[in-house]
Amino acid sequence: MKQFHAFIKKEFLESARTGKLLILSVLFLLFGIMNPATAKLTPWMMELMSESLAETGLIVSSVSVDALTSWAQFHKNVPVALIIFLLIFCSSFAGEYQKGTLIPILTKGMKRRVIVAAKTAAMLVFWTGGYWLCYAVTYGYNAYFWDNGIASSLGVSAACFYLFGVWMITALALASTLFRSASSVLLASGGLFLIFYLPGLLPPIQKYMPGYLLNAPLLPTGQAEPKDFLPVVCITILLSIIQYAAAVISFNRKKI
Amino acid sequence: MAILQINNLSKSFGSHQIIDGLNLTVPEHVIYGFVGKNGAGKTTTMKMILGLLLPDGGEILVNGEKVRYGETATNRFIGYLPDVPEFYGFMTPKEYLMLCGEITGMKQDACKKRAKNLLDLVGLSEANKRIQSFSRGMKQRLGIAQALLNSPKLLICDEPTSALDPVGRKEILDILSSVKETTTVLFSTHILSDVERICDETAFLHNGKIALHQTADAVKHGKNVSGIEIEFYRQNDAAHFASKYPGGSETSKTTLRYTQKTENDMSYFMQLLLTEHIPVQRLQTLEPTLEDLFLNIVQKEDN
Repeated sequence: MKQFHAFIKKEFLESARTGKLLILSVLFLLFGIMNPATAKLTPWMMELMSESLAETGLIVSSVSVDALTSWAQFHKNVPVALIIFLLIFCSSFAGEYQKGTLIPILTKGMKRRVIVAAKTAAMLVFWTGGYWLCYAVTYGYNAYFWDNGIASSLGVSAACFYLFGVWMITALALASTLFRSASSVLLASGGLFLIFYLPGLLPPIQKYMPGYLLNAPLLPTGQAEPKDFLPVVCITILLSIIQYAAAVISFNRKKI
Repeated sequence: MAILQINNLSKSFGSHQIIDGLNLTVPEHVIYGFVGKNGAGKTTTMKMILGLLLPDGGEILVNGEKVRYGETATNRFIGYLPDVPEFYGFMTPKEYLMLCGEITGMKQDACKKRAKNLLDLVGLSEANKRIQSFSRGMKQRLGIAQALLNSPKLLICDEPTSALDPVGRKEILDILSSVKETTTVLFSTHILSDVERICDETAFLHNGKIALHQTADAVKHGKNVSGIEIEFYRQNDAAHFASKYPGGSETSKTTLRYTQKTENDMSYFMQLLLTEHIPVQRLQTLEPTLEDLFLNIVQKEDN
């Protein structure tokens, strides 16, 4: 536990001093503001464009936006935030392999599983903090401009994509213990995503693949029920645990 | 009991056999030189001792315990200084040592005190800036401090002096000599003068095996047979000297080199230069290369 505490402290200090923390804060805050802002600006933009649209034969009547428009934006934007998040952390292990900074740490008697645990935990803390900050900002603006009451199961729909992020982070951790360079780590994480995403295109198993979590935007509009997501939530949690365990085993055997 | 015992160790990378049946015993409280050419397998051996590389065969015992690859419990007896030590650049030396202390399970107060003493020892107590701005020599010194932090029984240093200037080298060697009372030092190098200066015992790694094991005196004795080089101002001075003392080879028009010479020969050379009134630009004892030394010692053994 002492080793875990020491190493996760190092991870936080590193993120703070190398500017990762600042980038993440700005990123999630900006995305949080962008969702309601885009929704709010849509009618104005449509008005601006109405003349040119009229020339092509499209007639813009009154455009109405509400909290649902903003939540739809939220669900469109958070995958981009997740990709940037993974880009920032793909060198978490690879940077240490390349510089050799883990060697003095390991020869001090550091347990390898603690390194995997601390690095994964740090990523999860940043993801949790950033993602829910983004959610809170969007929620606050939406409540101010419109009424969140018209969107159903808001928390559940946001939690679905949050869980998808957790699953991708454990995939990144596993890839980081298998490959030495940041680019291979990213490719391998993308590969893992595809392995589970592509079979999800087949209707019979669609509901059981982590990719199904990306259908969470159907929840606020009432097109889906929270219970529809129960199997995929369980499976994704299980997959995340398996990926994490595989990362620990693979890191134990890794030549450093 | 030996602090380090290596029995019949072997390791190959692909078809290239790096270590081939290596046996080595390091007793306590000595500075043990581990000498070999670049690529001889010194770093590979050290990484196997530290459990960072999996050996193909044989066993390694540190303080009587077998070394395991991966989760290496024997590392609690060891302090390690890598050849190019790299630390977290965003930390200060004090923060880094505190991190290492926490990892080894030291109490915070004890660690603070020890860190302070060690930073004094390696001359970094004033360097309260981030490690990323450190020079190579400073990193090397911080490396020694982190390696000594948990008072290890065995300090392993991988070529600690090879990339440093003469002043930096002297500082590192002085630090290593000063810790001998409390710890055993295993120190790899390809620089013979370093071995001569501080090592009590020396093993020569050649073709994946220990080719020779020597005490410090034997190394010095072996080293006595080296060469002498004289650089003259004028070409005819060189020719004149060569006629008085044949056997030298011309390395340039004004330079003569004599091989296999002792300290007595050097005195005779100086005497001859004086009596013949020949001024010289340079008169120098040549450091034997590792190969020369191997050859010398092997030849002696054959005789």
